Amino acid sequence: MNTLLTDKHRAVRRSVRSFCERELAPIAAAIDQEARFPWEVVDMMGKLGYFGIQVPKELGGAGLDSLSYAVAIEEISRVSGAMGLCVTVHNSVAVYPIMAFGTDAQKKRFIPSLARGEKIGAFCLTEPNAGSDASAVEATAIRKDNTYIVNANKVFVTNGGVADTCLIFARTNPAAGRRGISVIVAERGIPGFVAGDLEDLCGVRANPVSSIRLYDCSIPVENLLGKEGMGLQIGLEALDTGRMGIAAQAVGIAQASLEESVRYASQRRQFGTPIAKHQSIQAMIADMATQVDAARLLVYRTALLRDQGAAFSQASAMAKFYASEAASAVTDKAVQIHGGYGYSKSYAVERYYRDARVTRIYEGTSEIHQMVIARGVLSEYAPS
Amino acid sequence: MTSCTVGDTRRNQPEEPLIHEYGDPGHTGKQDMAFHIIVCIKSVITRAPANGTLRSVDTAVLNPFDRIALERALTLSAERKGTVTALSMGPESCSFALFEAIAMGAHRGILLSDPRCADSDTLATSTALAGAIGKLAPYDLILFGTRTSDSDTGQVGPQTAVSLEIPLVTGVTSLEWKKKVLRVERRIDEFREIFELSPPAAFTIHPAAVKPRDIPLGGIEDAFTCEEVGLLTLDDLSLDPAKVGTTGSPTRVVSMKKVSRERKCEFIEGTVEDQADVVVTRLKESGLLG
Repeated sequence: MNTLLTDKHRAVRRSVRSFCERELAPIAAAIDQEARFPWEVVDMMGKLGYFGIQVPKELGGAGLDSLSYAVAIEEISRVSGAMGLCVTVHNSVAVYPIMAFGTDAQKKRFIPSLARGEKIGAFCLTEPNAGSDASAVEATAIRKDNTYIVNANKVFVTNGGVADTCLIFARTNPAAGRRGISVIVAERGIPGFVAGDLEDLCGVRANPVSSIRLYDCSIPVENLLGKEGMGLQIGLEALDTGRMGIAAQAVGIAQASLEESVRYASQRRQFGTPIAKHQSIQAMIADMATQVDAARLLVYRTALLRDQGAAFSQASAMAKFYASEAASAVTDKAVQIHGGYGYSKSYAVERYYRDARVTRIYEGTSEIHQMVIARGVLSEYAPS
Repeated sequence: MTSCTVGDTRRNQPEEPLIHEYGDPGHTGKQDMAFHIIVCIKSVITRAPANGTLRSVDTAVLNPFDRIALERALTLSAERKGTVTALSMGPESCSFALFEAIAMGAHRGILLSDPRCADSDTLATSTALAGAIGKLAPYDLILFGTRTSDSDTGQVGPQTAVSLEIPLVTGVTSLEWKKKVLRVERRIDEFREIFELSPPAAFTIHPAAVKPRDIPLGGIEDAFTCEEVGLLTLDDLSLDPAKVGTTGSPTRVVSMKKVSRERKCEFIEGTVEDQADVVVTRLKESGLLG
């Protein structure tokens, strides 16, 4: 039992787990192999509030807190890392920035359909020459009367292949360096909007990660989020929340690996006994369980800080860094416990192993997080 | 809280309180009264009791058979613009099941919780529920799941209906309005039975009747922040305490233990035909094939 969770959070866990085990688990392996986005489940998730977990009720959301959000992402990812990714990215780096920086008119215009899952959101920052260095974006949004003319080549966009509402990071003032970047909301279907081919990824394959290109797209100035030049601030704030979600996703994948490993080790017999009785397997199980628990606690701490209105950026970075590294280590051990079977697509741990790997890369690599965490620690403990 | 003031806990409903001070156990026939369905639910245990703890939030769930009754009540209530009350009896840890019922869409939850009700068997439970239902009157329909996943008797629904002296149809597979009467169908083996009756009435709803809805996340937020579960004790009911609890229970559960199942794996050698023969022989020996 996790003592940080109230009955409400337990109800969220139970409800999401029950839904995902019934609707998502039977197709999780197939949608991974087919790299298919399961609209039939996404539609149901939308009706149940999964795409507006923290959006207030009056805007069509579920109105839940951050801890509920973390628990929900963990549970979806326990069944399908790809769908956990879809839901967390939509909620944290697409919906949240509009809620935090949008005007009332923008919220009323964009949020209800996003919160009900009728539209899917995406965060378009990464470019061929800009990733960890977000300030290097080359996309431009040049003001012309009441519109921006946007040209952008965004790559590795999570949800890109299905996204309707895209937050585009582009330079509104190319001469202003870091302070010249802004966020423009681009909607699929406008002339010049092109979603590129899907990436053929190693893991999280059911998520339609693609490029999104804008060619001389004319977008009204009402679609500017916040003010001109606020792009990096909006991006970093969104990523603080996003990282907590990715950390929760990593915990979910790791938890699934642990459960599969315990089940397999209890049934698989070698030398006349279940391999769970062998000391070396027990050592792996102990490491895995401890890492999963520690990662989960870091995620929940981040969520609780956020719910309390406290600073959570450092906690979020630690949770994301640790949980993603833990997920990689735990899924690796899960494959090891399964032996040759773990390397086969017939066993779920093979998928978990692939899905976990990317959590160390997206929404800030582990190395960027180490840099961020170290900067915070060095500043906190620096001699005065 | 010993009495229920629930006017502020209902969603999308007029302001009149659902609990009326008069204890007329039946339909009032008033046209302006909201159509009121009471669904009796149980928090069932998912693990054998350990260290004297029977139920906790992590070891109990809303009885899956009751979800079906709730689902039917919610759609029926939506058609009639009525209200649904989820009623349960048990210790306060059972209120979690009522919160789940509210999250599904029930307008309120009522928990009859009194130490004197402890160890009630199905008869005493039915007596207590009937007492609570009397307190919640007026009502139109009382719905139950066919049985519970932890004790599997299927007795509480029928016994409660008898205690309330209202008509009962068990194992209802479909239920619809035909003008002013309810047309109710149940199946027994190869037969279909169709009844027509007017409220008040009680039904147990067949597990295959409807697929219960998933709990929306927004419903959970409503249940745990806006709604509350009303508590009743025996003191609120016109009921002789001797008729519930151990004194009111002619049957008693002597012990409850976890059943351990051992799986054995055996490889049968030989040609496919030989293997099939061995399997058939084994199944016959174990009584699984006649």
